[in-house]
Amino acid sequence: MDSQMLVSLGLILATFALYIGISVYNKAKATSDFYVASRGIPPLWNGMAIGGDWMSAASFIGMAGTLMALGYDGLAYIMGWTGGYLLLTFLLAPQLRKYGRFTVPEFIGDRFLSNTARLIAAIATVIISFTYIIGQLSGSGVVIGRLFNIPAMYGTMIGVVIIAIYATLGGMKGVTWTQVAQYLILIIAYIIPIIFMSLQVTQNPLPWLTYGTVVDEIGQIDQELGLSEYFAPFAESDKSQFIALLFTLMVGTSALPHVIVRFFTVSTMKAARWSGAFALLFIGVLYLSAPAYAAFSRFILMTQVAGSPMDELPGWTQSWINTGLLETADQNGDGILQWTELSVGEDIVVMATPEIANLGMFVIGLVAAGAMAAALSTAGGLLITISSSFAHDIYYRLLKPDATDAKRLRAGRIAIVLSTVIAGLVALDPPGVITQIVAWAFALAGGTFFPVLFLGIWWKRMNTQGAIAGMLIGLASTLTYIFLAMNGIMLFGIQDTGAGLIGVPINFLACVLVSKNTPAPPQHLQDDVIDLRYPEQMTYKDGEVWMNDGTGN
Amino acid sequence: MKKVEKDVAEAYFRTRTLLIIVFLSIGFLVSFGVAAFAEFFSQFKFLGVEFHYYMGSQGAVIVFILCLFLNAILSDRIDKKYGIDETANTAISNRKTSEE
Repeated sequence: MDSQMLVSLGLILATFALYIGISVYNKAKATSDFYVASRGIPPLWNGMAIGGDWMSAASFIGMAGTLMALGYDGLAYIMGWTGGYLLLTFLLAPQLRKYGRFTVPEFIGDRFLSNTARLIAAIATVIISFTYIIGQLSGSGVVIGRLFNIPAMYGTMIGVVIIAIYATLGGMKGVTWTQVAQYLILIIAYIIPIIFMSLQVTQNPLPWLTYGTVVDEIGQIDQELGLSEYFAPFAESDKSQFIALLFTLMVGTSALPHVIVRFFTVSTMKAARWSGAFALLFIGVLYLSAPAYAAFSRFILMTQVAGSPMDELPGWTQSWINTGLLETADQNGDGILQWTELSVGEDIVVMATPEIANLGMFVIGLVAAGAMAAALSTAGGLLITISSSFAHDIYYRLLKPDATDAKRLRAGRIAIVLSTVIAGLVALDPPGVITQIVAWAFALAGGTFFPVLFLGIWWKRMNTQGAIAGMLIGLASTLTYIFLAMNGIMLFGIQDTGAGLIGVPINFLACVLVSKNTPAPPQHLQDDVIDLRYPEQMTYKDGEVWMNDGTGN
Repeated sequence: MKKVEKDVAEAYFRTRTLLIIVFLSIGFLVSFGVAAFAEFFSQFKFLGVEFHYYMGSQGAVIVFILCLFLNAILSDRIDKKYGIDETANTAISNRKTSEE
């Protein structure tokens, strides 16, 4: 065991102890605590918890690497993942909060008065969260693999065990405050390395202001090497793919069940608006930093590592080659490693850069702890969502309405363990890089849920048949397009990661056409929809709006 | 309970809808709008980098955050103008939750 391993492991264990401590302290006692933390969390803290929940292995480990590899074309991830909060906070979250249900399938089941719709929504929620969790597990595999110098596959196996134990310990209440702690640790771990790199490269401690010039310099080096410039638009993919990916990520973000459920933890519509604003502020800190991380990494690799003799490569290269995610090959046999001969796996950029830039053992360990925080916090939130879809929507609402609290908690915990193990098996041989796997989850979430939630909230004529048709056709067309595009069959150059631009419009069309050709929903459901236009104090009843001024009925 | 005049209730909903449309349009322009004409915007420079790159990496995100905070503040003002009281909202919301 070298000293770096000791420091990294020590920091990871110390932060784990902190999360488990918070989780045990808040140990969930009743079901309502387990799912939504009794709806009393102030917007600022809820926003921070949403941030911790949201920023996953894809954001922390994957994004900077994707940006480094794709240049401008990777920025669709930055704008898509932040822009989704705009759609969510304006169009869905406050209204869903007023409707007052625990989960997305529960809203769909009650709004459309249909157990079939509830069941489809619950199954789709499980599929979406499951896809997303594969990305998290393969992220923890990268971290643990580097830590013990083993292939990322074995790292994933260890990660699966840790995440399953961790998520069964506490419920949402534990998770909310744990996620606040995880946010703070992961954001500190992300920003410290780029501040040091900014000092190293530009002598200015504010990376957000300085990296523009670095991007420009990278472009010049690219030009000398005869490559397309780093900042050049649509060099790696078509413009149509950029727009499709941006659309998929934006719409998908606003329709992800595990994100929406966080807005049920606030008290009112007003609190939901403020939670969304604070969440995007906290999330924005990391997303504004990721392009800087990517630019500095690429600059340091291009200027300090490329060009060094093959037999004098620094020590960190060997440890990363052992994980199977870095390749160096002296293709032209001149004994010198050129930039084009260096193949850096996208998923190692964030983890490897502090080593490449020689930032010292503590910073390297901190980044490892931050990466684990990102993977764990999101996996925790996802597992709660899977468990509530199963235990609450399928088991309790459909199968056994007389089940006791204890039985429902047990059903939820069994669902957690099962889904972690199965997702772990898939993650052993990841079907893509982290950001790509995660993008599929967004395409599925947008393609299945966005039109149904949006129309369910804003269009009173939307009925059960429309919702069922929309979800089924949307899910099927999105899945089909992902598989077709993976096998090279594409429309307008849109790749698998942009499948939302295909699935979402088809879903919308199915909802509207089927609803229009089937009977209108009962009057009380239509009234419920109009009621969502007003704050809690105003109620829509029998064609009139009533203000509750405390004078009774 | 007090009845709210139809045109007052309509006006409330129209104002809120207007806010949503304005802010979402701004959000759409700074992201999709700039990306659609990226080649055109690449001739300008901002903070040392091409403008389309700047908007993708920082500009759009900053505008999104500002939109959300402005909306939260303006919506609170609208609620106040229509006499909505947040403590009453919370009480109603809690009562509704515990009834279920």
